[in-house]
Amino acid sequence: MSADLAVSTSHVVVAPMLAALATAVATLATRRYGDVQRVLSLLGIGAYGAFVVLLTGTVLSGGTLTYQLSAWPAPFGITLVADALAVFMLSLAALVTVAILAYSVAYVGDQGQRVSYHPLFHFMLLGVSGSFLTGDVFNLFVWFEVMLMPSYVFVVFYSGPRHTAAALQYTVLNLVGSALMLVAIGGLYATTGTLNMADLARRLADPAAFGIDPAPVLGLSAILFIVFALKAGIVPFQFWVPPAYRAAPAPISAFLAGVTKKVGVYAIVRLYFTVFAVGAVEGGLGLPGLSGGSFLAFFGPVLFLMALASMLVGGIGAVSRDNLDDVFAYSSIGQVGFIVLPLGVVATVGDHSLGAPVTDLQVLGIVAALVYSLNHAVAKSLLFMVSGAVHDIAGTIELDRLGGITTRYPVLAGSFFVGSLALIGIPPLSGFFGKLLVFDTGGRALAAGAPGAGLALAGALVGAIFTIAYLSRTWTKAFWGGVTPVVENGTRSVVLVAVVAALALVVVAIGIGFDPVYSFAESAAEAALDTEAYVDAVDPEVVTHE
Amino acid sequence: MTQVVLAAVLGLLFALGTFLILRRDVVRVVWGVSIISQAANVYLVTMGGLSGQAPVLGHDGGHPVACTVPDAGAGCITDPLVQALVLTAIVIGFGTTAFALVLTYRLYEEHGTLDLGEVTVE
Repeated sequence: MSADLAVSTSHVVVAPMLAALATAVATLATRRYGDVQRVLSLLGIGAYGAFVVLLTGTVLSGGTLTYQLSAWPAPFGITLVADALAVFMLSLAALVTVAILAYSVAYVGDQGQRVSYHPLFHFMLLGVSGSFLTGDVFNLFVWFEVMLMPSYVFVVFYSGPRHTAAALQYTVLNLVGSALMLVAIGGLYATTGTLNMADLARRLADPAAFGIDPAPVLGLSAILFIVFALKAGIVPFQFWVPPAYRAAPAPISAFLAGVTKKVGVYAIVRLYFTVFAVGAVEGGLGLPGLSGGSFLAFFGPVLFLMALASMLVGGIGAVSRDNLDDVFAYSSIGQVGFIVLPLGVVATVGDHSLGAPVTDLQVLGIVAALVYSLNHAVAKSLLFMVSGAVHDIAGTIELDRLGGITTRYPVLAGSFFVGSLALIGIPPLSGFFGKLLVFDTGGRALAAGAPGAGLALAGALVGAIFTIAYLSRTWTKAFWGGVTPVVENGTRSVVLVAVVAALALVVVAIGIGFDPVYSFAESAAEAALDTEAYVDAVDPEVVTHE
Repeated sequence: MTQVVLAAVLGLLFALGTFLILRRDVVRVVWGVSIISQAANVYLVTMGGLSGQAPVLGHDGGHPVACTVPDAGAGCITDPLVQALVLTAIVIGFGTTAFALVLTYRLYEEHGTLDLGEVTVE
């Protein structure tokens, strides 16, 4: 290959994905030897974590890395991009999945582990990592499918009446979502002539030069947005969440709520704040109630309203549920509202066009969403795993039949307490900073005169009060009070409680040592908003024709 | 003319798929999902342009330009990339359809019915 076509290929970018893929295959090959399989699986997740740490270190010290598959220059080949935002999400995934896998080894039955659990777990992790790293819209669709296929099987894992029904609903919904995604991607290719995200951003920034009409691109990106909202479980695409989370094994509910949901959030930040943000429809959108012509002038209010609705639906739903998993599932819907709200607030603030200076408020909004995602990933997986441990002890997670867990199992109850306080946002836990940043974004937007900022603050306050209400209700009904027979006669597994307690320590550690987490999230947010640097890093060739 | 016919067929396929997904019979729902994903595939192929020549290098003797490129001119070729995309999508759709059918069978075993009105999530 000639020198001018030499492209950057940093192999460390694909290292986490290779670790997940190799482990998936290895655990599939050793499915007859249970112990070997478990050891390989744990070694594999260890390698995954180590590679993510290595990649994160390299990216944070040396800047964005790209991997052009087979050294085909962008936009012709498949591009993988590891920038600060991608490695932030990868670190989040690695942190949570290491704990989840350690828990799974003790939680999932022997038969289940041998047949399918470990290979599927690593394939799902592969899909998640691919979605975070890819720099190509169609490739994103493929990684989404890689991530979804194992999740279908996990929802039907116990294959009882309830599980098959939930899995059917989950599968059909996501298949329709995939078809919609294909339609949107095909349309984007036809209107913009590219699938590479960096190339897409460059073309949208100067549509006239590439013969692009921005109006259909806005419509197609809105169809794509539905798919991501479905994955993230934002209202009105939230209805699949409670049955699916309840049907899946507890560690998988932790995975789905902690990590898979964040893939939807990541895709929204990456595509709508890095790529589509530079697009604008000349002469305004022409839609009632919306001013300005930029794409974000449309997505900002949409995100904002969906976030408010999520906080309300999640909060009201969680207050009235009668088992732990349903409370946590509705809580996930509400908490995703908190993640998306700052995005909606800052979307309409300032100028997002290519090369425009990034304001502090824009960065703050993305930082708030990222920090809240991290907090929710750790705290919610902790709570789902507490629910699993309670089921392991008492054989039920119905609030009516539980009670007195604080007396019999203080460590388990203490971990639940720490996780709840983190979701509520009590200092010095991780959740405090998440909530603080969300309110700070709202406050500063209000001071800057952004429309709807007051409503955002009020909505976040109502959402926070709901969070306190449903978590204290769960605490009083299930953990406090007299010891019920099911709790009295149960036995606990040391490993399950140890993993949950370790995650509770992580929640405390993130809160106390928040400074490095904040600067990591800040560089991730700057990477998300700096479209110019993203395009420069990928460096798509300019296609010329006579 | 081809465009009009294909647009009408695509519209019909999406409508039929949606209609079937809204039925109570699980097998019809799975049919609906497959029809919608096939409709998406056909739609993808049409996105490469219908009027161009076969995408063979040197077919026209000159430098080939895809019809999706603005001002491509008369001798443009049909964009071959979308066909590669569709192949990937077909393979994925094949896997998901197989899974959905197996899931339907398990649902029937667990509930003894394929009527969604009698299958409850709770």
